[in-house]
Amino acid sequence: MIFLLPGLILFALFFLGPMAYSLRISFFEWKIVHPERSIFVGFENYQHALSDPIFQRAVLNTLAYTVITVVVKMILGLSVALLLNQQLPGRTFFRVAYYLPVITSWVIVSLLFEYMFNGQAGLVNYILKDFLHLIPKDILWFADEYLTLVPIILLDIWKGIGWAAIIFLAGLQAIPAELYEAARVDGADSTTQLRYITWPLLGPTTVFLVVVLVIGGLNAYVPFQLMTNGGDPLDLTHSVLTLMYEATFGRLDFGYGAAISYLLTGFVFVISLIELRLMRQRAD
Amino acid sequence: MNRKSQRNFDKVVKLTVLALGLGLVLLPIWYMIITSFKPQTMIFELPPRLWPQVWTLKNYIAALGKDKFGLYFLNSAKVAVISTLLTVLISSMLAFVFARLRFRGKETLFYIFLLGMMVPPVMLIIPQFIVAKWLNLFNHTGLILVYTAMNISMQTFLLRGVFENVPRDLEEAALIDGGSPWTIFWRIILPLSWPGISVVIINTFLYSWEEFAWANVAIKNSSQRTLPIAIALFQSEHLTEWGQVFAASLVALVPVLIIFIIFQRHFVQGISTTGLKG
Amino acid sequence: MKSNRIAILIFSLIIITATILAACAPAATPTESPAVAVTEAPVVATEAPTEAPVVEPVTLQYWHTHSDAEAAQLDQVIAAFEAANPGIKVESTRYAYSDYKTALLTAISSGAVPDAARLDIAWVSEFADQGALTQLDGNLPDFEAIIADTFPGPLSTNVWQDHYYGMPLDTNTQVLLWNKSVFEAAGLTAAPTTMEEFAAVTCQLTDAAKKTYGYAEGGTYFWAPAPVFYAMGGKITDEKITTATGYVNGADSVAAFTMLKDLYDQGCLSPNLLGGGIATDAGHAEGTYAMIIDGPWMVDIYKGNYPNFEVNFAPVPSGPQGTTSSVVGGEDVVVLADSKNQEAAMKWAAYLLSPDAQKMMASVGQMPTLASLVGDPAMPAYFAVFQEQLKTAQARVPHPKWSDMDNAINNAYQRMLKGDQTPQEALDQAATEIDALLGK
Repeated sequence: MIFLLPGLILFALFFLGPMAYSLRISFFEWKIVHPERSIFVGFENYQHALSDPIFQRAVLNTLAYTVITVVVKMILGLSVALLLNQQLPGRTFFRVAYYLPVITSWVIVSLLFEYMFNGQAGLVNYILKDFLHLIPKDILWFADEYLTLVPIILLDIWKGIGWAAIIFLAGLQAIPAELYEAARVDGADSTTQLRYITWPLLGPTTVFLVVVLVIGGLNAYVPFQLMTNGGDPLDLTHSVLTLMYEATFGRLDFGYGAAISYLLTGFVFVISLIELRLMRQRAD
Repeated sequence: MNRKSQRNFDKVVKLTVLALGLGLVLLPIWYMIITSFKPQTMIFELPPRLWPQVWTLKNYIAALGKDKFGLYFLNSAKVAVISTLLTVLISSMLAFVFARLRFRGKETLFYIFLLGMMVPPVMLIIPQFIVAKWLNLFNHTGLILVYTAMNISMQTFLLRGVFENVPRDLEEAALIDGGSPWTIFWRIILPLSWPGISVVIINTFLYSWEEFAWANVAIKNSSQRTLPIAIALFQSEHLTEWGQVFAASLVALVPVLIIFIIFQRHFVQGISTTGLKG
Repeated sequence: MKSNRIAILIFSLIIITATILAACAPAATPTESPAVAVTEAPVVATEAPTEAPVVEPVTLQYWHTHSDAEAAQLDQVIAAFEAANPGIKVESTRYAYSDYKTALLTAISSGAVPDAARLDIAWVSEFADQGALTQLDGNLPDFEAIIADTFPGPLSTNVWQDHYYGMPLDTNTQVLLWNKSVFEAAGLTAAPTTMEEFAAVTCQLTDAAKKTYGYAEGGTYFWAPAPVFYAMGGKITDEKITTATGYVNGADSVAAFTMLKDLYDQGCLSPNLLGGGIATDAGHAEGTYAMIIDGPWMVDIYKGNYPNFEVNFAPVPSGPQGTTSSVVGGEDVVVLADSKNQEAAMKWAAYLLSPDAQKMMASVGQMPTLASLVGDPAMPAYFAVFQEQLKTAQARVPHPKWSDMDNAINNAYQRMLKGDQTPQEALDQAATEIDALLGK
């Protein structure tokens, strides 16, 4: 019990208590200065969210973002890890270099991506238009509801490959070398090895990564906030969290913000439980 | 082609692919570095250049020379180090319980703890603030406690996997010798899990070092502020000294990089011992 | 089933939480179930956990978002105030503008508030509506005398439901900036004075091949087109703020946006306003944008970034009615309702509006709100054009739902630029949305 106590106290005080408080807010039209004057509205905030087209769009954006970034980060992360797992000169250097984006500040790199994707004179347009001649005229990336997501997604992939790679690398190193030796003796080529040894044995690592990355993706906030100015154009580019933040701190609609957070948390919890079940099954 | 040259050829191909990928990965980093050396007038020059026309150290001198930069740096270091130690201690104790002890409802309790890594922290700021006000914690202690609380879920999750992989025979031997659970935890489990703990250290240190939202609302005394807040203050409503922001951010990266380099040997090994069981 | 067990466990955990909370709560807090303990404690809590003793000397907390240079000057103002008011100390805390509202709201929600604060003029009615601010008329001594000398536009931003919840601390407005060398290269010598001229010059100074534009706006949020909108006679609501129909979609408002949309369609208004293009300040200095409309801070920005660039200001061109206009910006000073030091905080707020304090802040570019300081030799020369413009500049709608209204107009502007709707259709929709916000 002594082992549980410090963690439990801290967790209850700064996590469960606040969670309960948020839950309460979500059922009210909340008055911040005089909470006692708040008006109980039942599930109205939740209903409002579910029927709000801006919220629905934010959900779609967040899902698309999560699916794309998780899949690409997994594939590229695994490729990098496979390469870094070999006896190559400068291995440590490559590891540190690929990990570098993970520790950079979101604010700074969001700004950099905006700069590179500048619609009138940015680097990306220059490469696409003047160098590769793929587009006839400059693209205003941030003026379009779909194109805006391109730099946001690329940023997340750029920043996340290193982390996925390091975790995969760890998983790879736990695979006994003897297995590969035996396969080689049997005449299996590297593709077969990848298919029948590496991939199955990486199962638990893969599911772990999926759980953590999906949670991170569904909770995306900073890159959306900074690169869309909170939903531009036309409130079509919100993520669930930027919408929650705008409702709470922009429009002082605390109840609505709390309801959105609870919907998101509930969804994340269910998804994670499913993933954890899968993880169990694969591990056993 | 004989076997050896085939292998060399393979190596060259792989190195080339890695280097190409590295180019893409490092391009924004390169921009970050050159921006910090550009004079304010050319920060976001368009079209962009890969090599600045003028190099200057002014941004570093101005950013680091700001009255309290050193103090903010130390504040951040103190908060990050203590949060990290506390998280390691608390998470490993929790993980020990979840990995080794048996009691009713253990799994459910574990899932409740897992909830902690799924909730967006922004959602909890106001109630956490109320708790902090109630306990009079608008200071570094408040930051440390909240950072620890927000981190224990994921790190406990990680460490539980690590502890489950420690062979049980060692403990049984200790139990026979009359060792308490505490001895087992302290003498056997922890020393054997050092790699997993490195992972926790890197994760938590990074989180506490760059956390912004809570530090922004919870610290009122300007001499107690942390580095991310100080860097945000380089931006005023109409004019932002981006060169200084970039310079300061690069300097702020150094401790995290050092922590990563120190612990990365364990890191690679460490994650593999998490066992990754749900 | 499992869900049942989960429910039981959650419940038992809450009980554990309760015990723990009760155990570590300070003696004064009631021992109750956890949710209640956590949720109601802040409401019940009355003790002020500040170090300062509650009797004399009072230490005031004052929050703001001044820049470095302004904050340094503010320290001088504080020193002067403290010298004149022994027993009151002022501690100022600076916040980054983008995170300021969050910090304030979080503080307000728990009652751990600063005593006074400098707020964006667009927030005062919103905060007042929540009950976060102290009503100043009837409470602050000499209130009438103080506000009698302030400009009416900035003053009006402090009114909510017929009472004053703040005082105009500093003000600004936007005027036309024209790049002289671009003008001269085209054989022009002066800035346009009417909107008709403005539209013609904008296209004359546009060169599609060189990708230079006659005019650029920073975005589609209302602040950007507001000067043109008001100068063209545009209105968002009626005087009493009861309806938007017939105002935001009235003939003058539609004409204003139609002019901008036409300029955009002709390629004379830079597309950067839709996001992710060349910034207006840099573009103007480099000649990409011949004209922009912006505020007095541009002087400092150009001094820092383009030391050799000659900044030229002119009044916003007049609309068809022959009058110029623009939009009022700036900040107000407010006293927080939960402050324990009301009297001292009001003294401080009043001092900030004294000619002495206003003059001190003017030296770092903060335009005074006192009419009596117009033409004062202590004012920087470039204030003149802004102070002239302020005579006709209008405040945005002082209403708690302003940010939503802003968003409605912003979206309307975007829809018409993209060609999804005509200006009339877009503004009709905005009118309906704003009417809903006004509770119609």
